[in-house]
Amino acid sequence: MNTGKNIDLNEDAIIQIRNVYKSFGTIEAVNNVSLDVHRGEVVVIIGPSGSGKSTLLRCINHLENIDKGSVVVDGIPLSSKANINKVRAEVGMVFQQFNLFPHLSVLENVMISQRVVRKRSFAEAERIALDLLEKVGIPDKAANYPGQLSGGQQQRVAIARALAMQPKIMLFDEPTSALDPEMIKEVLDVMLDLAKEGMTMAVVSHEMGFVRAAADRIVFMDHGWVIEETTPYDLFENPKEERTRQFLSKILH
Amino acid sequence: MVDKPGSTKGKAIPINWNKIPWWAVIVAAIFLFIINAVITNPSYLDTLSFLSGYTMWITRGAVTGVVLTIVITIVAYVITLVIGLIMGLARLSKNPIIYTIATLYVEIARGVPMLVLLLYVSFVGIPMVISWTNSLGAAMLTWTWLPGFLHGFAQALVDYNIRNVSEIVRGVIGLSIGYGAYSAEVFRAGIQSIEKGQMEAARSLGMSYFQAMRFIILPQAIRRILPPLGNDFIALLKDSSLVSALSVQELTMLGRQNVARTFRTFETWNMVALLYLIMTFALSFLVRQIERRMSIEHR
Repeated sequence: MNTGKNIDLNEDAIIQIRNVYKSFGTIEAVNNVSLDVHRGEVVVIIGPSGSGKSTLLRCINHLENIDKGSVVVDGIPLSSKANINKVRAEVGMVFQQFNLFPHLSVLENVMISQRVVRKRSFAEAERIALDLLEKVGIPDKAANYPGQLSGGQQQRVAIARALAMQPKIMLFDEPTSALDPEMIKEVLDVMLDLAKEGMTMAVVSHEMGFVRAAADRIVFMDHGWVIEETTPYDLFENPKEERTRQFLSKILH
Repeated sequence: MVDKPGSTKGKAIPINWNKIPWWAVIVAAIFLFIINAVITNPSYLDTLSFLSGYTMWITRGAVTGVVLTIVITIVAYVITLVIGLIMGLARLSKNPIIYTIATLYVEIARGVPMLVLLLYVSFVGIPMVISWTNSLGAAMLTWTWLPGFLHGFAQALVDYNIRNVSEIVRGVIGLSIGYGAYSAEVFRAGIQSIEKGQMEAARSLGMSYFQAMRFIILPQAIRRILPPLGNDFIALLKDSSLVSALSVQELTMLGRQNVARTFRTFETWNMVALLYLIMTFALSFLVRQIERRMSIEHR
């Protein structure tokens, strides 16, 4: 699929995952996975539940401590505490359960990291936050608390909160899985806008509409292994692996 | 105008006798009885004047009685909160040394009766620490390489005598150590009750562990642990009576002295109990107000 974007494949990849292993007890969640994501690329990771896709995503900003292998983000290896905090400031993350801060208003949710981590002035942080709330379509909810918002609105605030750090990369961990069906579109629309603007994105999702419209590359995972890495066109038209075909037949009805 | 059926206009509103808080009525009656006694009976007035610390303040300029009880309680509570927060965080530490030290402290301090803990801290713990600092100061004075500006400090360490530590200070330290262990567990439970996703979201925004604690986790945790922390405050107020065992002239000690002074056992202990009751009632009212305000401000 041609999104009209210029992705320079010769440049060093902004996310470089090399031979990463991660296990929880006896369960091997991520098995020898290597993956590159280039600047401006949208990579969607799919796979059955328990296939390690979320764990892989969480390895990128070190929410999971990897057992073996290496992760380099924007030239910074995730090796020391200082580096991890540096990488996290450049990588935005959106969670399945939103994880908004319930004791802070919507505006404060979007401001807090700007004030604490970026050390911006109150006025500047507020201006950026209001712009972002406008962008995700809920400027009128700035003074509300997260508990007063619908799921779709909460997830859009969560996206605005992550964007407030002006990240180079956005990670989406099943952003629409906890939403009622009629709210999925409002969140996907915001994600599509981001993709169009050229944001580098790694997305764990089974929204095939989003995959068709925005994905540059699909990674299919099962039991912690990357089974297939392909383009959306090839995924739907001629998946190479039998396991991929089985999975697709289940989710495409 | 014709009254509609069911309207209460013009009729007495029926009283539901089961819903009246009889305990409060009885407490109010006791209050009124004693207030009346204080006004009409000079021996009650004298008892109140002595127990409140007024007499001692006038005759000797010493802070005693109710005032001293309040001061001891507040100071000990502030230190308790600091110890509780630090030890609560330490109990959650992944560092095995920090975790072990904090757990050891909590288990020992909770396992010893408060009165024994107070006596131990006052007459064993603090003297031991002072003797250590004395010998540290003496050792420092023999170090030829010690920078000049530290000589005064070393000398002060040597000169510091156990007699310089008043019973009040010992009592406050003892109470703080005991209650610090209880509140450490309260803080730990409160922090653990906040969903894991909150810390992950904060960390994923680039905050350090301590920034995430300070701005995201603790503000939510403190709202949840306010009721048990308030209980600790009230319990601490009551247990401050134990420092009378260290001859600190707080309310309970003055009660004993008043009995020895006047032989008015009945009046004295009536008054002591009443004064504690007033303080605990006021405190629990205050705690309830703070809780209510916090729950209105943030849902």
